Amino acid sequence: MSVIFAIATGIMFAFGVFLLLRRDLIKSAMGFYVLFTAINFLLLAVGAFNGTVAPYVNEQNQIVGQPSDPLVQALILTAIVISFGSYALLTSFIAVASRRFRSINTDDINKLQG
Amino acid sequence: MNTLVLGVVFSPLIAAAFGLLLARNRTLQHGIGLIGAVAAWLCSIGVLLANLESGPQLYRLGGWPTPFGIVLVADMLSSLFAVMSATVVAAGVLYALGCKDKVVTYPAFMPLFLCMGAGLFGALFTGDIFTMFVFIELMVIASVTLVAISDNRLGLEAAIKYLLISSLGTLFLLIGIAALYATFGTLTMADIARLLASGERPLLAQAAAVMLMCAFLLKSAVFPFHFWQPDFHTTAPTPVHSVLSSVVVKVGIYGLIRMITLMFTAEADLIQDLLVILGVIGIFFGSLGALGTYDAKRLLAYSTFGQIGFILVAIGWGTPLALAAALVYAVNHSFIKSSLLMITGGISSRSIGKTARLTEIAGLGKKLPYISVLYFLGGMALAGIPPLNGFISKVTLVQGGIGAESWLVLGLAVGAGMITLLYMMRTWQHIFQKVPDEFTKTKPTGDNLLAPSLLIALCIVLGIYAAPLIDLATQTAAQIGDPQIYIRAVLGG
Repeated sequence: MSVIFAIATGIMFAFGVFLLLRRDLIKSAMGFYVLFTAINFLLLAVGAFNGTVAPYVNEQNQIVGQPSDPLVQALILTAIVISFGSYALLTSFIAVASRRFRSINTDDINKLQG
Repeated sequence: MNTLVLGVVFSPLIAAAFGLLLARNRTLQHGIGLIGAVAAWLCSIGVLLANLESGPQLYRLGGWPTPFGIVLVADMLSSLFAVMSATVVAAGVLYALGCKDKVVTYPAFMPLFLCMGAGLFGALFTGDIFTMFVFIELMVIASVTLVAISDNRLGLEAAIKYLLISSLGTLFLLIGIAALYATFGTLTMADIARLLASGERPLLAQAAAVMLMCAFLLKSAVFPFHFWQPDFHTTAPTPVHSVLSSVVVKVGIYGLIRMITLMFTAEADLIQDLLVILGVIGIFFGSLGALGTYDAKRLLAYSTFGQIGFILVAIGWGTPLALAAALVYAVNHSFIKSSLLMITGGISSRSIGKTARLTEIAGLGKKLPYISVLYFLGGMALAGIPPLNGFISKVTLVQGGIGAESWLVLGLAVGAGMITLLYMMRTWQHIFQKVPDEFTKTKPTGDNLLAPSLLIALCIVLGIYAAPLIDLATQTAAQIGDPQIYIRAVLGG
């Protein structure tokens, strides 16, 4: 499972960086989100495969088997919320910029120089 | 358990929440904002005093024991940085109350400003590296929004740029956190430090050090990651700019100091050598960039590069004396830079186009002797002329350099410090000494300059009566010199 996750994370990183470097702002924003998803995969791979069962106790207050690490899932949840907030903010900025500059090409939105 | 630590982080957040509820009544909202910022300031001073009395203060959120729960730790380093930040944030709120910019009247301005402050204080106080990421992101999102709604229409462009670049920094931070968690199975910094000190040092932990360092260097706009800073800071509204360019960039500095002195003590030498080189590059790049810029606000943003460079050089020397010098420099620079930015904002608010371009505001201050004196004092403090506090920071820096016997770097740093005098004098002459041509029109009133007056007064006091700050910095350097103090305080035993 770890190998599959490693390959998936690598591909998503490559794809995310590729998209982020495009001249189209919307594609950059997509790359931003793909990169954060890749990070979530990485965080999941860090701890989720150590165990085999969900970390719940049964009626006798015992855990049967090796529980999976619940903390990484909490981390991913937080990371998703934050990256989603940033993504929403970024796309709303791009929406305003597309109206103000009549373009979403980074070459045109380039008034800040010097 | 010390509730004051919680108060520093949460009083601006609570004030922001009430501010959103009271968005219809702007006066009440601004009043609550000021109360929240001042409450945070008072709490941070209380935390610092408690620290002097009885060592590091803790607040365990939810009462969970340490490696499992999130803990807010206020040792000397965090408390000193928090007092510095809280002073500047409170001054920023005070400036915003008397600011004529349109952005200040937006209902979201004050809550966002306070959220930026809360993120700043939280990032300084948290003892858990993932919570640090959360607070840094809170700060970034709030500041990006504030810049995007700035009166300067180019703010939107700068906000898009910074959000994309800062997301890469966040990415580095998260990869570093993931690597640390994969290695040690804990996120509490004290626990990581304990495990690292026990000699366990897999390759992944060193990769994490590199990642964290990239993230912190990006947050404080150090040389290879600096390009976003002048655009982003120049287009920000004045109160926001004064906070961004003085204390928000110090979060990266704080993270670097924490990394070197607490977690990666074995790799510290390598990191410090790198910091000296980056610092010298930053000093020259920032000073020469400021010299070649003809916009009073942008000039100060460039000057921040140079001043951050001085702090990095002092951290890079690494002796207790040099670390104390770095802390003194950081605190003094925050007060000087924020007051100068507020004064510049006050001048540009008196120009018709609300611009800070030197050609358009030349001679604007000819009839404003009070502002002229304030700006002159601020400029001289930045250049390090006695009896102002900039002189004290330069002296402690030179002492640190002599102690570290790093003559070449010391010579380069002091030489480049002279450039500061050059560009501050030039700007002051342009704005306050030139005879305005008859086409230059000015508004009769501008922003209220109470906040920068107070900060300049603080600069003079810290210049004449510098002993307490130097004592504090020396004690802080002594405390962070021994990571066991922090680890014992957090983990107990």
